[in-house]
Amino acid sequence: MIHVENLCQTFNGRRGPAVEALRGIDLSVDEGEFVAAIGRSGCGKSTLLRLIAGLLPATTGHVSVAGDRVRRPSREVGMMFQRPALLPWRTVLDNVLLPVEIFGWHRPTHRDHAHELLEMVGLREFDRRLPHELSGGMQQRVALCRALITRPKVLLMDEPFSALDALTRAELAVELQRIHMELRTTIVFVTHSVQEAVLLADRVAVLTARPGRVREIVKVDIPRPRSFGLNSHTDDVGLCSAQLHDLLLSTEDLPSPAPVVPLQSREFRVDTRADGVGAHRRDM
Amino acid sequence: MSMLEDRLRTQHTLNGARPKPVRPERSRSRLSSVGPPLLSLLIVIAVWWGSTIVFHIRTFFLPSPPDIVESFLKLPDYLLKEAWVTLSETLMGFGIAVVAGMAIAVLLTAFDLVKRATLPLLVAVNSIPKVALAPLLLLWLGFGQLNRIVMVVLICFFPIVVAGMAGLTSTPADVNELAKSLSANWWQHFLKFRFPWALPQIFVGLKVAISLAVVGAVVAEFTGAGHGLGFVIVMSGTSADTPLAFAAISLLAVMSIGLFYLVVAAERRLLPWAKETTG
Repeated sequence: MIHVENLCQTFNGRRGPAVEALRGIDLSVDEGEFVAAIGRSGCGKSTLLRLIAGLLPATTGHVSVAGDRVRRPSREVGMMFQRPALLPWRTVLDNVLLPVEIFGWHRPTHRDHAHELLEMVGLREFDRRLPHELSGGMQQRVALCRALITRPKVLLMDEPFSALDALTRAELAVELQRIHMELRTTIVFVTHSVQEAVLLADRVAVLTARPGRVREIVKVDIPRPRSFGLNSHTDDVGLCSAQLHDLLLSTEDLPSPAPVVPLQSREFRVDTRADGVGAHRRDM
Repeated sequence: MSMLEDRLRTQHTLNGARPKPVRPERSRSRLSSVGPPLLSLLIVIAVWWGSTIVFHIRTFFLPSPPDIVESFLKLPDYLLKEAWVTLSETLMGFGIAVVAGMAIAVLLTAFDLVKRATLPLLVAVNSIPKVALAPLLLLWLGFGQLNRIVMVVLICFFPIVVAGMAGLTSTPADVNELAKSLSANWWQHFLKFRFPWALPQIFVGLKVAISLAVVGAVVAEFTGAGHGLGFVIVMSGTSADTPLAFAAISLLAVMSIGLFYLVVAAERRLLPWAKETTG
């Protein structure tokens, strides 16, 4: 669905040297797949998302979505940002229907769909409210409905939960997983939270900073629905998180001492987890 | 006001998160915002009246409130007619300034180069006291009503332009990015995002401008117009008819306050969301 080939992005500083944000990114995302891009702040993960969205022209390289080369924002792609960016004078329903109006579609035919989406995120009775009457988490849910109203093939999410408190963040991540299982939209999800990446993604692209490069693509082979709570795959979640932490907090020149553990081997698990924690401490 | 009704209705049907008692809050704030200022006004009038009696102040120097009412009742038709002249000049000038000022603000913010070239100039021109131009306007435009309207336009044009430009460039970056990701064209971006977002700041400009508009009209009338409350004040000054001057000033005050609160009421009605989001 999405193909990124040898993508480079350099920003010319107005004064001072040019900043190389991304170098040689290769990534492909299958239809219906959920891919998370994780990295520290300033590693160019938001830039990558903007390039896929067509909001920025790439310095060199190639991005295509659904077979078409990306040159400008496409109607097939929905976006969600760090902040909900709702229009304060529009009711919840009118905010959800905003893309419909801008695309020049017939509003009444999409009303029911808007209500379905609001129902899906538990905001059915809030359709007449104004944004300031909702909590931050509810506002971000409305923003999700707004991104989905046009039935996009691809949904791009730029740290959508990072401005929320920790519990709301976890709650919304679980909800997003449910919605993804229901709608099967292709999603690229930028985050700096290992927890979110493990819960949500089929694959996680770990980015390094300055310049941003894909260090490794980690497959998260944990059955869905996943959860943060105690259940049959709690160990797998812990292991995968530890592996991502190691990749994020070590550098390529100074590899993490923790061995990369095959997720399936159960006997090793307890030992290696202890190792992982130890390695962690040495890193700091 | 259907939007408010809808909000109130949903308020009752909801039992879920964040119940906010809209109605009692509003009525309480209205009473508490009108009561105390009214009380202090009455006290000021009482002290003023009392002092004129206790200290035997001559009417020529400071008339007491009943003197002013009496003076108004001697010539009510004349005073109301002159008040209407001033009011119509004020409203015409203000209307022209709003239309022209907003048009200029839209034009200047549409092109970044134009904005950077003209904004410093506008700020510089704005710092000229427009009142100083009154004699020149008289020279160029004569004694007619045009002279007075131009004065009003001049004095309230710049605050509207500056507020309009500030408002139209205040759209948050993420909202602009949303518009861009939806491939909104210039008109859609303007009508659905930038203009509504600018309205609270535009109203700040309008509130400044409406008060200045009355000042502009009166100043223009001072320079020998022969009409309007400004002329009445000058005339009563030369004939030492202080109560008449006070009557005219009182009418001006009522007009000015009324116009200001009309703008405030329009803002409340058009932007019920702005109070909560901008504080």
